[in-house]
Amino acid sequence: MLAIHVENLVKKYDSRRVLDGVNLDVQEGEFYALMGPNGSGKTTLASIIAAVKTQDSGIVEVHGKKPTQAKECIGYVPQENFSSPKLSGKENLVYFASLMGYSRSQANQLVVEMLQSVGLSEEADKRVAKYSGGMRKRLEVATAIFPGIKVLILDEPTTGLDPAARRAFFSMIQDIMDKKTSIILITHIGSDAELASRVGLIDNGKMIAEGTPDELKRKHADEDVITVETAGKTDSVLSVLKDYSINGKVAESETGYKIYSSNGDRVLADVVRSLDQAGHKVMRIEMARPTLEDVFFRLTERHLQEATG
Amino acid sequence: MRQISAAYTKAVKELLREKAALFWTIAWPIIWVIIGSFSFTGSAPQQVIPYIKGSIAISMMVFALMIAGMSNLPASIAGDRANGLLAKLKSMPIKPYKDFIGRISAVITLSLLAAALVIVIGTAVGARFTGAGVEILQAIGFVFLVICASAGVGLMAGTLIKNLQGAIMTGVGIAVITSALSGLFVPYEGLPVPLQTFARVYPISSAQASIVHLLAGPNMVAYNPLTSSQIALTIALSFALLLVGTVLYSRLGWKLE
Repeated sequence: MLAIHVENLVKKYDSRRVLDGVNLDVQEGEFYALMGPNGSGKTTLASIIAAVKTQDSGIVEVHGKKPTQAKECIGYVPQENFSSPKLSGKENLVYFASLMGYSRSQANQLVVEMLQSVGLSEEADKRVAKYSGGMRKRLEVATAIFPGIKVLILDEPTTGLDPAARRAFFSMIQDIMDKKTSIILITHIGSDAELASRVGLIDNGKMIAEGTPDELKRKHADEDVITVETAGKTDSVLSVLKDYSINGKVAESETGYKIYSSNGDRVLADVVRSLDQAGHKVMRIEMARPTLEDVFFRLTERHLQEATG
Repeated sequence: MRQISAAYTKAVKELLREKAALFWTIAWPIIWVIIGSFSFTGSAPQQVIPYIKGSIAISMMVFALMIAGMSNLPASIAGDRANGLLAKLKSMPIKPYKDFIGRISAVITLSLLAAALVIVIGTAVGARFTGAGVEILQAIGFVFLVICASAGVGLMAGTLIKNLQGAIMTGVGIAVITSALSGLFVPYEGLPVPLQTFARVYPISSAQASIVHLLAGPNMVAYNPLTSSQIALTIALSFALLLVGTVLYSRLGWKLE
């Protein structure tokens, strides 16, 4: 059964189309990641599905209803922290439970279970101002998993968390959600999107590719990725690397470059030799299978972190 | 009802845990009641001094109500918008008017707490009041009008000014400037004629004059604020400010960029 159906969705800010004919279907119980750079329209899409914003045209349905008529089954965790820092974790949850219509005694009972499920029982009475970023985000997820929630929308939930905290966060999400709850994860982090059963890549308001992480990599980036770090990043290095990358596409990272090759084992040695001949010292070189970030680069020639809509 | 109660409880707890809100709404007026009671009684006859102190306590009580409505209310709205709560609330099955009722009830609670403390401290430092029975009920009615007018201004500031600090400072600015211009801190007869007119039209200073007239005696007010036309104007403008604020908040308060 379809949990979310989006058809030909258009949203404009002034005359700019931030969503331009987006189509999306998410099945009941599916974990779907929507990945794209800042300004690509992914947060706008999430906020329309969550009934926070309205579209200019197109169809959006959550379990067969308009989002505004399906609020009881939507759990939305926006990107910004929204829990009150002046209240304790428990007081925050009681507040949101009461807004969902639970009586004070029901809310108190429910909140104990929810704090336990997100691992915050010990910190229940501490003010949120004293929580770490990860604890606060876990608390906010708890506001979106009340009984009856069928669609959980997480907008960039791991921003600012270190890799270990990110892994712990997703492990918690998978533990607490029942099999019928659909999850939409909005992210620009490839390793987060890899955890989803299906991924949609969005750029400039358009869905540019969709599939399982493996399908996307096989279809759009089925080659070896060679990461090269040299003593300095210069045009001369770039020029050498272009000769070895498919279609001459070289991705720049913080510390070096990435090139793409269908025959990585052989190219690896050639790259080292050519750079050496051109007078560039190779500090590090390694080969790996492509990530979803590589898929995005291959499709758009832009990095997820740098690209803007 | 559960949703209104939840919004109310959250807002009350936040206000009572916000040191700046407590200082400006409760401590600051109390400090001035104490200072004023010992400094501004001048060479008045001994038997009048308790009622001058009563008048000062009433003025500072009104100022406390103004700060609660004009600064704490917009701070609550703008703060929730700034920290992303309004986006979360829009995704939940709660109507804006329920959040509004809870929020404004919390401000009324803080206002009444501040008013009671100011009057108690004023009485402790020698303030005396004349009214009884009907006068007290009428004075409570004017207190209610001050809360309405202040909350109306606060709703406008919280809705129209998106920035948290901007909303707070605008509210404080309006409260302080209009208090000074309308004679809340200085005798009415000391104001220039245009400002005397403003003091009669501005519903908060007019209500304050009415409360002083009722509870500290007519000699403490330079004009009669209890004429039918003056009372009608005060009521009409107080509710008009609240109505404009409510309409703006209902239509734009939850609107996100």
